[in-house]
Amino acid sequence: MAPPAQAHRSPSPSQPSGKGEVSDLKSQLRQLAGSRAPGIDDSKRELFKKVISYMTIGIDVSAVFGEMVMCSATSDIVLKKMCYLYVGNYAKVNPDLALLTINFLQRDCKDEDPMIRGLALRSLCSLRVANLVEYLVGPLGLGLKDNNSYVRTVAVIGVLKLYHISAPTCIDADFPPTLKHLMLNDPDPQVVANCLSALQEIWSLEASTSEEASREREALISKPVIYYLLNRIKEFSEWAQCLVLELVAKYVPLDSNEIFDIMNLLEDRLQHANGAVVLATIKVFLHLTLSMTDVHQQVYERIKAPLLTLVSSGSPEQSYAVLSHLHILVMRAPFIFASDYKHFYCQYNEPSYVKKLKLEMLTAVANESNTYEIVTELCEYAANVDIPIARESIRAVGKIALQQYDVNAIVDRLLQFLEMEKDYVTAEALVLVKDLLRKYPQWSHDCIAVVGSISSQNVQEPKAKAALIWMLGEYSQDMQDAPYILESLTENWEEEPSAEVRLHLLTAVMKCFFKRPPETQKVLGAALAAGLADFHQDVHDRALFYHRLLQYNVSVAERVVNPPKQAVSVFADTQSSEIKDRIFDEFNSLSVVYQKPSYMFTDKDYRGPFEFSDELGNLSIAAESADNVVPAQGVEANDKDLLLSTSEKEEIRGATFNVSGYSAPLYDSSAASVQSELAIISSTSAGSAPSSSLAIDDLLGLGLSAAPAPEPASVPPSLKLNSKAILDPGTFQQKWRQLPISLSQEFSLSPQGVAALTTPQALLWHMQGHSIHCIASGGHSPNFKFFFFAQKAEESSNFLVECIINTSSAKAQVKIKADDQSTSQAFSDVFQSALSKFSV
Amino acid sequence: MAGAASALFLLDIKGRVLIWRDYRGDVSAIQAERFFTKFIEKEGDPQSQNPVVFDNGVTYMFIQHNNVYLMAASRQNCNAASILLFLHRVADVFKHYFEELEEESLRDNFVVVYELLDEIMDFGFPQFTEAKILSEFIKTDAYRMEVTQRPPMAVTNAVSWRSEGIRYKKNEVFLDVVESVNILVNSNGQIVRSDVVGALKMRTYLSGMPECKLGLNDRVLLEAQGRSTKGKAIDLDDIKFHQCVRLARFENDRTISFIPPDGSFDLMTYRLSTQVKPLIWVEAQIERHSRSRIEIMVKARSQFKERSTATNVEIELPVPADATNPNVRTSMGSARYAPENDALVWKIKSFPGNKEYMLRAEFSLPSITAEEAAPERKAPIRVKFEIPYFTVSGIQVRYLKIIEKSGYQALPWVRYITMAGEYELRLM
Repeated sequence: MAPPAQAHRSPSPSQPSGKGEVSDLKSQLRQLAGSRAPGIDDSKRELFKKVISYMTIGIDVSAVFGEMVMCSATSDIVLKKMCYLYVGNYAKVNPDLALLTINFLQRDCKDEDPMIRGLALRSLCSLRVANLVEYLVGPLGLGLKDNNSYVRTVAVIGVLKLYHISAPTCIDADFPPTLKHLMLNDPDPQVVANCLSALQEIWSLEASTSEEASREREALISKPVIYYLLNRIKEFSEWAQCLVLELVAKYVPLDSNEIFDIMNLLEDRLQHANGAVVLATIKVFLHLTLSMTDVHQQVYERIKAPLLTLVSSGSPEQSYAVLSHLHILVMRAPFIFASDYKHFYCQYNEPSYVKKLKLEMLTAVANESNTYEIVTELCEYAANVDIPIARESIRAVGKIALQQYDVNAIVDRLLQFLEMEKDYVTAEALVLVKDLLRKYPQWSHDCIAVVGSISSQNVQEPKAKAALIWMLGEYSQDMQDAPYILESLTENWEEEPSAEVRLHLLTAVMKCFFKRPPETQKVLGAALAAGLADFHQDVHDRALFYHRLLQYNVSVAERVVNPPKQAVSVFADTQSSEIKDRIFDEFNSLSVVYQKPSYMFTDKDYRGPFEFSDELGNLSIAAESADNVVPAQGVEANDKDLLLSTSEKEEIRGATFNVSGYSAPLYDSSAASVQSELAIISSTSAGSAPSSSLAIDDLLGLGLSAAPAPEPASVPPSLKLNSKAILDPGTFQQKWRQLPISLSQEFSLSPQGVAALTTPQALLWHMQGHSIHCIASGGHSPNFKFFFFAQKAEESSNFLVECIINTSSAKAQVKIKADDQSTSQAFSDVFQSALSKFSV
Repeated sequence: MAGAASALFLLDIKGRVLIWRDYRGDVSAIQAERFFTKFIEKEGDPQSQNPVVFDNGVTYMFIQHNNVYLMAASRQNCNAASILLFLHRVADVFKHYFEELEEESLRDNFVVVYELLDEIMDFGFPQFTEAKILSEFIKTDAYRMEVTQRPPMAVTNAVSWRSEGIRYKKNEVFLDVVESVNILVNSNGQIVRSDVVGALKMRTYLSGMPECKLGLNDRVLLEAQGRSTKGKAIDLDDIKFHQCVRLARFENDRTISFIPPDGSFDLMTYRLSTQVKPLIWVEAQIERHSRSRIEIMVKARSQFKERSTATNVEIELPVPADATNPNVRTSMGSARYAPENDALVWKIKSFPGNKEYMLRAEFSLPSITAEEAAPERKAPIRVKFEIPYFTVSGIQVRYLKIIEKSGYQALPWVRYITMAGEYELRLM
């Protein structure tokens, strides 16, 4: 539907296409430009409106630029606004014309009406023409000092705009410090909020190149700033409150009293009408209490009611966003909504994106006590008009079945689905029954009886058909007709479009053959022949493989194709807990909606403030997928070649070592797929630390001499470390997650050390000399992040260390976790002295 | 982090850009339009599609309002919940300005739309979204030509939601206590879930900077004051307030005190998850007499005190899609066959408490059922009603005090009403 635009307002045709109208406008504008007759502004307004609406519907009216600028000499604010709009739209494509406007915009920046000053300044900063930036600095400086807060709010954002057009100009004009001053002193909350947005962005972008900027960025989450903002929180607009709360969530309080103070102060924010504020507050609560298990649980209780209200009231879009967040919460604390499952029942006319998330929630909250009711409800949806939702709900039933111990009732339900005789229900149910049988083979008897009665002609979807065929093969001894069904399926080989189904068919026929040879022999021949002639490479190869296997030795073939199977205990989780933690860190952002950490969907240039850890801490340390726990020695033996080759490579590359180019291809499958920028060095090889025993003596003797340690009085540490310590990355990760932080300290680095730390590797070799081994590292100057481990010499007690070094501030933040907490101080001393001797 | 939006778009029902505002210059209108038109076309029913979509590095978040889409685009990891809420707020602002937000009204008001888009967001950061406050910035209102030279006051004010210098001849406040009952009854007649969502909707026409204080029969408050709470006090589960309410005071002594915005707003919302008896109970029996005839018998019963009366009761009964020749008799009200919804709509203007009404309907069905029968709809019976002067929760406004330094007398008007929200009874 395209109603004639502006038809009733403008006498000209609604969709002028030619240049006639534009040149008409041009001459009309020219007439008005010089005139000073009374009422002239009204006729100008009409003309301007026409220009704007042409512009909006996509007609190029840039030809009247000159006339528009001429007409802008007016005191009428409406005319000015339209003129600014017009200029802003065309300046970028016509930089030469933009120059024309600078003059009058600059003049308007000094107008006596604050509205006009603000608007002119905003338009000036929005021109986005790089060679005009010199004209911005003056008006911006004045704008920041303006006595009207509207002008200041505009000017603050203007600074950020300037930064994006020309960062050096913005920095050279010393705008960031001015903003900081304004942020901490301006009486107007919106000015403060805009300062915060601007500073976060500027300093994060600067942080990669400037030490000062990264210090300033850290200062934003320092106690004075946070407290200042928190004390004013009630003055801020709802959006600004979100901004502040987001910042507070990053703050690390010193002790639990501080945590409680902040939570008490913010408690009432949970009652705010704006759901975004409520969610932001929840984020603060969750993040502050991460280290306090008991309180963290209480927080879950506290936030439950507000969250449920947000789900059930407000727009479906809000429900959608909130449900995504509930989903991640429930993954972390499944009990919280266990008794409130009824809130996730679907309503008839909810949009299906909400229903879908609700189904996921129902699956996630199901436990022994509520499963029966949830499954009953889900079965109602199976007959839903909305077929995708019906399918989802059947899948949900299946998922619940797979996660429960008591599946009695559920199996019955699933079998009922099979009897409903709706194609899509049957299809989904078949897939589920297959998975169920893999986990609970004891149900085969009941299931097979029902599955056997399904006609394979009624099953068309590849997944369902494959599932059915799998069951035919697996349970062919229990299903009377199995060989004959397989036979008819094989006869229709040519008509089967899905390669997946054909593959399954081959295997099923093989299995069936071993169980009921006389009946299947003929079919097997036919299937192998058809498979060999298949144009699909995989099908062809599998047929060939079976064929040769059978030729070689039938009993070997049986062992290969039909071995006794163990029931699957747990199906692989698709998301690593590392990723889940990462998403949780980014609570209240798109990450949660997409269920992906932000680095997976944003370009690097657009990552926001404080997300530098994406590049550093991308530590899917290693072997995420290694579900079989190989003893450490085994890993060492297996990977010796790999390790040697990597260390060689490293030496060759030497100082020009490029971190991002080095992503440990064999170790880490999950990180390789993302743009990982980390180096993984697993130094399990003892050979790479030849001088380590020496180093301990050295360390004991010279512990104090060379160290510019902040605590010179400390006694030389009496802790011996195992120079040949071994820890495989999987265990490290597991331990890191389990152990509490026993020590968290900040050390200073010597100036030499800072100078030497150009790549993470430099420090690795050094620390290894002190029997402290690195398991993962990454980062660029000035920020590096390391994970170290060490073992006590006489017993196998481990120390795990996370060490974040900022070379610009020459500080190292160290978090130590230990199996034996009593020795962690001693270890910390060892660590510190080792660190302080780096490159000395 | 609270990422910034790159641009705001207003699109027509086909996904073409009507008007847009570029904030950061990193998402173009062409790019967005190309994506969104395809997106809508492909999905057919946009209702089923997530309101947050990712395409080629850009996240698009959108809501639909009448025949217009409001969409924000961003390249950063922004706060999805807050942006979606923000879009709803923008829709409210437009509604305030144009009465209705639809394609026509946008096309008529390009200039105002641009002005608004300019003030609600700057460089992708939300700024002011209170319609009343915005009106101080927005100058293009053909009927308000005298442009006053005073600076926008809201931003110089301690109270960001109310301007100074408001004057009314007659100072009045209207307070509506609206409760909507959500209920879901399964086919065995059991209540699967029920809750009540309440809202205190206010319309204020008050001069100056009035201080308001609202007293409710809140159990926590009454107990704290040591009054008897027998039968009269209520427990509210989760209360949310408009930003004007001083939350700290409420936390301390449960007093609801505030300086209200001018005009209408939701002062407070709350939720009760206590089991409520269905106010209107509907039972339906369906009999298939032969392959070609179906008979529906419905009993509707009001389960509240006689002194209350439900008005505008509408009971929507699902019928088979291929039913024809309706023959309906009712003991009260009128019934209309609405084949477009596959439903029979039974309307009863006034339904007093403790009464029972009947409906009997007969339909013909085609005697030959189609080979490829569409999946049988399992729509629930849905009920709409309003019961004035009645609240399920028993909430009561004990007082509403208005104090302004000029000392005028203001008249508070309070109304109570209970409505059906998502009121669904599953058939058989």
